[in-house]
This record gives sequence, structure tokens and C-alpha cells, in this order.
Amino acid sequence: MKKANLLTEYGALIALALLFVINVATRGGNFLQIENLRNLVSQDAAVGVIAVGMTLVIIAGGIDLSVGSMTAMCGAVVILLVNKLASSGMGANVAILLAAVGAIAIGAIAGLLNGFVVAYGRVAAFVVTLGGLAGFRSIALVLGKGGEIRSQVSPLQDFGFGGLAIPFVKDAAGGPVLFYWSAIIFIGIALLAGFGLNRTRFGRYIVAVGANPRAAEYSAINIQTVRLAVYTILGALVGLASVLVGARMNSIGTGSAGLYYELDAIAAVVIGGTSLRGGKGRIWGTVVGVLLLTLISNMITAYHIDTNWQGLVRGIVILVAVLIQRGKKEDE
Amino acid sequence: MNRFRSLLGIALGIAGVVLVGCQAGTDAGGATAGGGAPKTGKKFKVGISIPAADHGWTAGVKYWADFASKQNPDIDWIIQDAKESGDQISGLENLQTQGVDAMVILAYESGPLTPIAKKLHDAGIVIVNVDRGFTEPVADVFIEGDNKAFGRKSAEYMAKKLNGKGKIAIIEGVSCTVNTDRVEAAKAVFKAYPGIQIVADDKGEWNREKAEKTMANMLVANPQIDAVWASDDDMALGVETALKAAGRNKNIWILGGGGMKDIVKRVMDKDPLFPADITYPPSMIGFGVQAAAGILHAGKDNAKKYMPRHVMIDIELITPENAKDFYFPDSIY
Repeated sequence: MKKANLLTEYGALIALALLFVINVATRGGNFLQIENLRNLVSQDAAVGVIAVGMTLVIIAGGIDLSVGSMTAMCGAVVILLVNKLASSGMGANVAILLAAVGAIAIGAIAGLLNGFVVAYGRVAAFVVTLGGLAGFRSIALVLGKGGEIRSQVSPLQDFGFGGLAIPFVKDAAGGPVLFYWSAIIFIGIALLAGFGLNRTRFGRYIVAVGANPRAAEYSAINIQTVRLAVYTILGALVGLASVLVGARMNSIGTGSAGLYYELDAIAAVVIGGTSLRGGKGRIWGTVVGVLLLTLISNMITAYHIDTNWQGLVRGIVILVAVLIQRGKKEDE
Repeated sequence: MNRFRSLLGIALGIAGVVLVGCQAGTDAGGATAGGGAPKTGKKFKVGISIPAADHGWTAGVKYWADFASKQNPDIDWIIQDAKESGDQISGLENLQTQGVDAMVILAYESGPLTPIAKKLHDAGIVIVNVDRGFTEPVADVFIEGDNKAFGRKSAEYMAKKLNGKGKIAIIEGVSCTVNTDRVEAAKAVFKAYPGIQIVADDKGEWNREKAEKTMANMLVANPQIDAVWASDDDMALGVETALKAAGRNKNIWILGGGGMKDIVKRVMDKDPLFPADITYPPSMIGFGVQAAAGILHAGKDNAKKYMPRHVMIDIELITPENAKDFYFPDSIY
């Protein structure tokens, strides 16, 4: 029994470790070079930040399908704001900071809207956020006139590929290897959310609302407020993620930015062992889920596999993760 | 139940092993070292990064990228396609850590891919850019089709065939420089013919289904349309479906573009719906592949002395007379 629990509890982590060992064994130094490991943490940092927020929403018994479109909408706002502020004579860094705050605010408002309709309108979260998926993308397209919006402020790009120098490591040209800001932000957000979920009263409320809303209500928890809060937090995190995306690309393609992010984020949450039924979940599992998906993409390139296989491999990993979870439920 | 879970664990492990197995296969296949290998004895490694095949033309790009790289077996080619810009950027980063010497890039979108291309170029990687350009001159070689000629030549053909008189509909692609160049050049030509009237102008997003819907709406709004300037062969097929569904496929004709084999065949067979087509060969990626191989073989510094920075590929009109020169039944496009 103990052995089986190890697999159900740490399945995703074991899979990640297994793939890691396989990569080290077959690719050795190429895989272990610092740049590659750095890329693994930073490449899907935007999806990671969103997935952390998604974990909270799913634990509270909800879901949000609108996050990809919301990323495009907030990203469009970031670039437009940064251009506008910088052209009005403001310093580039101040302009970037203010634009980031603006995007996070817009994201939070969009999330609040989702949460409001879910909590008070009593409409299924799936349907509400399906509306958001269509609506937010449309707003993004209107802002970008259907095309891409380019930043005129080059320090934004420096932020996208900037970070802290990793000590004692030099790249091929002898320059420092940077640990990107995006990865630092991803890790920071995950730690913060993990603390909030496991160590605060609000965290316990989220779990309680997801596990049994009626019981939560009877124990004097305002379930509407909790629901509103998790969607708003997710919205703000989407705004933050859109800053990372916009900086990485120095622009936002309003038709393509954030495409399928909702699926990637939900996949990471599910792989990480959070139950889609709510009431049970963990942030570290989601982080492992994000890393697992990134590692799979990384391996597709490294092993010269036709990229068309990527979807199938991802699909298998997701299915296996869910099947393991189902097994756990039946035991309880 | 325990047994079931153990099986799942094993399945997860197998997924990993399958990935590695695929690698073993490709390594064995590509182990024959060619003559032009670099002096260190290591093979050159080149990445090809293209958008995922979301319509016929991009599928053609994939086909020709495969084909051209196979003609250079002395180089280790890694082909990857991207479903959106972020995906493509990550792919390029992965190629960099793989230690590629050069990259052939057809950008999903121009703006988003420019920062990463700049970073790779600064790191000393040879960048060959095909079709969709970057917003800064960061490519060592930029190869593109002449989209203004595409618009001009197709519009001139249409105006002449209509004897300078008639009602036409325009179906546009995805908004980007490629579409703008084509449409503006075509409209400039039509302007010179006062008898030609553009009765409808809307987007088909280079997509068969969307073009079908757009055309269906145009047909309802316009009782008479003499010709459709569809600017892409996928869209031309969508237009055809709409015309047939509305029973309006007589006394009208379509001009697509791209040189899809199905359309070229119809031109060759003198189908009245498709009197001509205009080339925009996805095989241009193959030229990019050759350029990358050539630069690496010659050495970057030597190649710089004679390789052009910008190559513009001419666009040709396909008519029943010359269609057989443009018909490649083995290609998927």
C-alpha cells in the first residue's frame, strides 16, 4: 500500500526524474549545460505563472478557459501602454513598470468579471470562461487591428532576455549566462502561492470551498468572496504573464499570443496531481507539470523527433496522470 | 488496483523510452559522413524552424524543407515547426543549446521573432531568413518572394482577361506585410482600369473554410461577379466550393496564387474556373537550406564576400501553355 501511494503522490515528480535521468544518460553534457537547464525553467514561465493561478481556481472547484485570450488582451495593453508612455517622454524603465502594473490591473479586472458571473450569476465556470475565451481574444484583435503590435521601446526586449548572471558560468563567447527574470518571477510566484495555499487561512478556505461548498458555507466561509478572489488572483497573474510574453517577443501578435495557454496550464495542473473535482491540489505539483511539459518539448528538439509527435506524447502523459488520480479517488 | 498503478508507472517510463528510441533510429540513419564536413571532424548542425502546417502552403514548406535537407546529408539537420510565436522562440533556444551552426527561419510572425533572432545572430549563429522577414536586419541572408510582383502580375492578367471591364471580388489573407504588399499592388493595377469595379473586398485568412464563408456572403450581396481575385490557392478552393453551393459557378473565374498542384493541374486541363495561377513557391525554403549549407561549407567570412544579403524570388504567371513546368505531382502542395 505504501509503495502505491508513492506513485500516486509523487507520480509526476518520478516521471520528471525519470526523464531527467534518461536525458543525462543519453545526452550528457549537452543536456546538463547551464543554458539548457535555464531554458527549461524559463521557456514556459508565462504558462507556469498562469498555471499556478489556475491551480488555485481548480482547487476552489472552478476552471478558467479564458486565460490564453486574456494573455493576448493584457499583452496588447502592455505594448500599447509602453509605447504611449515612452513617447510622452517618460523614462523607458518607468514606462515598462507602469505598463506592467496596467496589464496586471486589466487582468485582475477581467478575472474579477469571470469570478463575479461564476460566483453570483451561478453560471458554470466552464461556460462563463468560454465566453471570455472568445471575448478577450476579440478585444485583443481590435486593439491590434488583427495583426501584431510592436514595442517601440527597446529596453522591454532587454527585460525579456535579461536576468541575473549565474555565478562562475560563462557562455561560448565568454559572456555571463543570465538566469532570466521570467524564471525568477515564475519561481517567486509559485513559492508565494504555495505559502498562501498551505500556510494561510485564505488557503484553507480555498480548499474548503472546493471540497464541499455547502459545508464551507455552514462553517461561515463566504464562498462567493473566495471564488471571486481566486479568479481575480488568476487574472492578475495572467496580466503578469502577458508582460513576460510581451517582453520576450518585444511585441504581441494579437491573433496568436497565448494560443492554447489555457490547455497547457490546465494540463500542467492535472499532471501535477490537482484534482479537477476541486478540494485537493498542490502548487509544487503544477510546477513539476510545467517543467515536465517543457522537458518534453526540449527532448523533441534534442532527439530530432518530428514535432508532429509532440501532441501525442503530451496527450499520453496527461492521460496517464489523470488515470493515476482516478485510482487514488477509488481508494478513498 | 496496485497492479493497475504499477502498469501506469511503467507506461510513463515507456513514453520516455520511446522518445529515446526514436533518437537511436535517426542517428543510425544519418551516420554517413559527407565530404564537406568541418575541419574539426564534427558534422555541421543546422536548425530549420517553420510555422506548423496550418494550410497547404505551409505544408509545402515542410515538404521542401525535408526534401532540400536530404540533399545535403553531410549536415545534421533538425527540422521543427511551431504552433505559435512563443513556441517557435522556445524551439530556437533549444536549437541553440544543441549547438547549431546555422538556422533557417520562416518566422511565424515578424515582430515577435526579431528579438530572439537578434540574440542568436549576436551569438555567432548564421541566420537565413525566408519569406516572412524580421523587423531589424539581423539575418545574414534574407530570401523572399516578390509579393508586389504577385499582386501586380495577377491583377494585370485579370484586367486583360476581362478586357478592362467587369465586377470583381477580392479575398485577402492574414494581415501582415505579405498580404498588404499583394493587395496594394493589385489594387494599384485595378485603379488604372476604370471599367473594373471592385464590388467586394474581405478576408479569407489564407484558409479554405474561411474563404468559403466570405465568398458565400459576397455572393448573397452581389448578384453579379465576373472574377474573384483570391490571392491564394487554398482560398481559391474555398471560393470554388461557395460558387458551386450557390450554383454560380458559370461565367465566373478564380485567380488564386501559390502554385498548389491541384490548381496547376486544373489550369493545365483548361478548366474554365481556373484559367491561370500565379507562383509563390514554398520551395523557396529549399533555397534557404542551400544557402545555409553553402555558407557553412565556404566558411562564414568567405561567404560574406559574395553571398547577397537580400534575395527576391520572381513570381510567374502559370497558364495552360507553361503549366507543366510548374506541376510537381510528388509534392504535397
